[in-house]
Amino acid sequence: MKLSTFLKRLTERSHSSLTYHVWDFTATAIVNFFVFSLLFLYLGPMLYLPVTALKLPTQMADPNAPLYPADAVIYEYQNRPLNVYIVPTTNGERHLALVKTRRTSADFIDPENPQAGIIHWDGNWRALNKVYVPNMHTENFTKFFGEFSNLYFPLVLHTLIITFFGLVGVIPTSIAVAYGFSRFRIPGIEWLFILLIATILIPETVTLVPTYRANISLVNWVTTTFPLESVTWLKDLDLANSGLYRVLPVLVQHYFGNAIFIFLLRQKFKSIPRDLDEAAMIDGAGPLRILVSIVLPQSIPVVSTIVIIHFFYSWNEIRQASLYLAQGRLWMPASFLNSGEVPILLTMIIPVMVLFLVQPFFMKHVPVIGNEK
Amino acid sequence: MKTSPFSFITTSKFRRREALIGLAFLSPWLLGFILLKCIPILLSFIYSLTDFHMLEPNNIKFIGLANYATVFSDSEAIINLGGSLGYYVFAVPVQMILALFLALVFTSWRLKAKRLLIPLFFMPSIIPAAAILSVWMGMVDLKTGWFNLLLLQFFGLPPSYGIGALFSLAFLLSIWSIGPGFLIMLGAIEAIHSDINDAARIDGAGSIARLFFITLPLISPAIFFTLVINLTSAFGGTILLDRGFVFHQSLSPMENYITRQMFTNSDLGYACALAWVMFSITISITIWLFRSARSWVYFPE
Repeated sequence: MKLSTFLKRLTERSHSSLTYHVWDFTATAIVNFFVFSLLFLYLGPMLYLPVTALKLPTQMADPNAPLYPADAVIYEYQNRPLNVYIVPTTNGERHLALVKTRRTSADFIDPENPQAGIIHWDGNWRALNKVYVPNMHTENFTKFFGEFSNLYFPLVLHTLIITFFGLVGVIPTSIAVAYGFSRFRIPGIEWLFILLIATILIPETVTLVPTYRANISLVNWVTTTFPLESVTWLKDLDLANSGLYRVLPVLVQHYFGNAIFIFLLRQKFKSIPRDLDEAAMIDGAGPLRILVSIVLPQSIPVVSTIVIIHFFYSWNEIRQASLYLAQGRLWMPASFLNSGEVPILLTMIIPVMVLFLVQPFFMKHVPVIGNEK
Repeated sequence: MKTSPFSFITTSKFRRREALIGLAFLSPWLLGFILLKCIPILLSFIYSLTDFHMLEPNNIKFIGLANYATVFSDSEAIINLGGSLGYYVFAVPVQMILALFLALVFTSWRLKAKRLLIPLFFMPSIIPAAAILSVWMGMVDLKTGWFNLLLLQFFGLPPSYGIGALFSLAFLLSIWSIGPGFLIMLGAIEAIHSDINDAARIDGAGSIARLFFITLPLISPAIFFTLVINLTSAFGGTILLDRGFVFHQSLSPMENYITRQMFTNSDLGYACALAWVMFSITISITIWLFRSARSWVYFPE
């Protein structure tokens, strides 16, 4: 028998044999184990937030405390609360309650056998570790909702309003510009498109000084020209009071389109066959009609994806929020910088929830995604 | 016929009409480009040639290139600039390679529960920067930081800000923002027609040959787009961690330094000069990138 035919037969047979199934199972197990352990390493640090939110400040202050939420064990002795420590003694480690401290020695009592009396121990008691038992505390959450109950939900609402007005600006303009880029013969359009992509890469810092000045004068001008504070129903909404105008600098830029969105929409528009446009043309449709009735209905997935991306972007925007909205709590994450784990958990829970809600849709239209973080 | 719905009209009059309608559609972006990009960049350059001070807006003198001379003698500015450049050089390749690697792993049919895993890997890209900042502080704290407690103590090393900060910089800034790039490249790989791979397999190409001669060339547009997006976030200075404490207030050193010149020292002229130095660096990287793209990005059109 030739070697090649032998090998061929071997491989053919192995597909139904036991070794093949063992190999198949092992490979699948290795791939899955690898990816899941990667995921654990990847998201591990994220556990810090919920774990710390469930801890008490007293545990945070003790560097030797365990990483999981826990309580120090307290032993009540003669109506005094005593801390229980792990004490190394001649007969192994024992859990003893600290009664009296001296510089180089300490007095302990055994909580399990208090009748045995005071146990004298030589050594530096400060180096000992306390005994902890796992216990979760919700005090941080109750405290947060006690302090900020009348602030948290208006803040969510304000952020959603800002997001909404950003969407009203960015979606129609981006669609129009992408349509202009994909369907019309304009001399030098390739160069304009390269310019569009290049603007994505211009750092905000470069335009910061003039833009900041212009925005401040814009806000001043609008405030003096349209004194909205005098409108009663706006006053009732408490929007003017909380800094309605200061949102303007953040919103205005969205009304000129977003280069990344334009790029994504243009890719989609270009993939739509022109025959349909031409048929509509012959039936007398103008360019706007073609956009609304032919191009847009076929691009709904891309447009919705962009809406979702803008939501994430707007929710997480922090630089301009802290530049223009420094006073007054108006924008979600920026308002809770450096204010503990609980508010931060509550700010991140909304985008995460949205992500998992839109996930089946979002992942299906994967190729059009670009995040602006 | 193939370039436009209006192409059956060939007279120049209608051509001009078509171009005008197109320009009308482009006008929001063109206007924004002029108002929000061109004019501010030019104004910024003009400011950088003056001693513009925020508190004395009526007393501006032209001082030539003096601000630029200051930039190159200001050691703190040079250090911050180096930090920024180091971040581009470090973070962007790490992000690219990891995202590509993850996307390739996710094409394996052996992997289960992809619909759960993909959003989980994407998740850190959409949580607020404030959350990442908080996690970061929890990692690098000298006394209670997880990094010190879990890793350094395990290896018997003394607690240190340096290693911890470097670790979390790598981890939180670059690794946690691979999400978009990962999704783009995964989408591109899945869109590759299986005919091409099958043909190569019949011709005897192994999996590595197929990766380098089929997959990578075909997804090069996606790689390029990911690169643009990652560079954007790197150039934008990380919005993330703007108020960190280890690297002197910030992990986006140049941007933070400029903001400080602007708001603390009120020295707008100098801030603009710094911004222009930064701009010239980023724009040269961009131009170089677009030029090189012609030779390594495959455009089917």
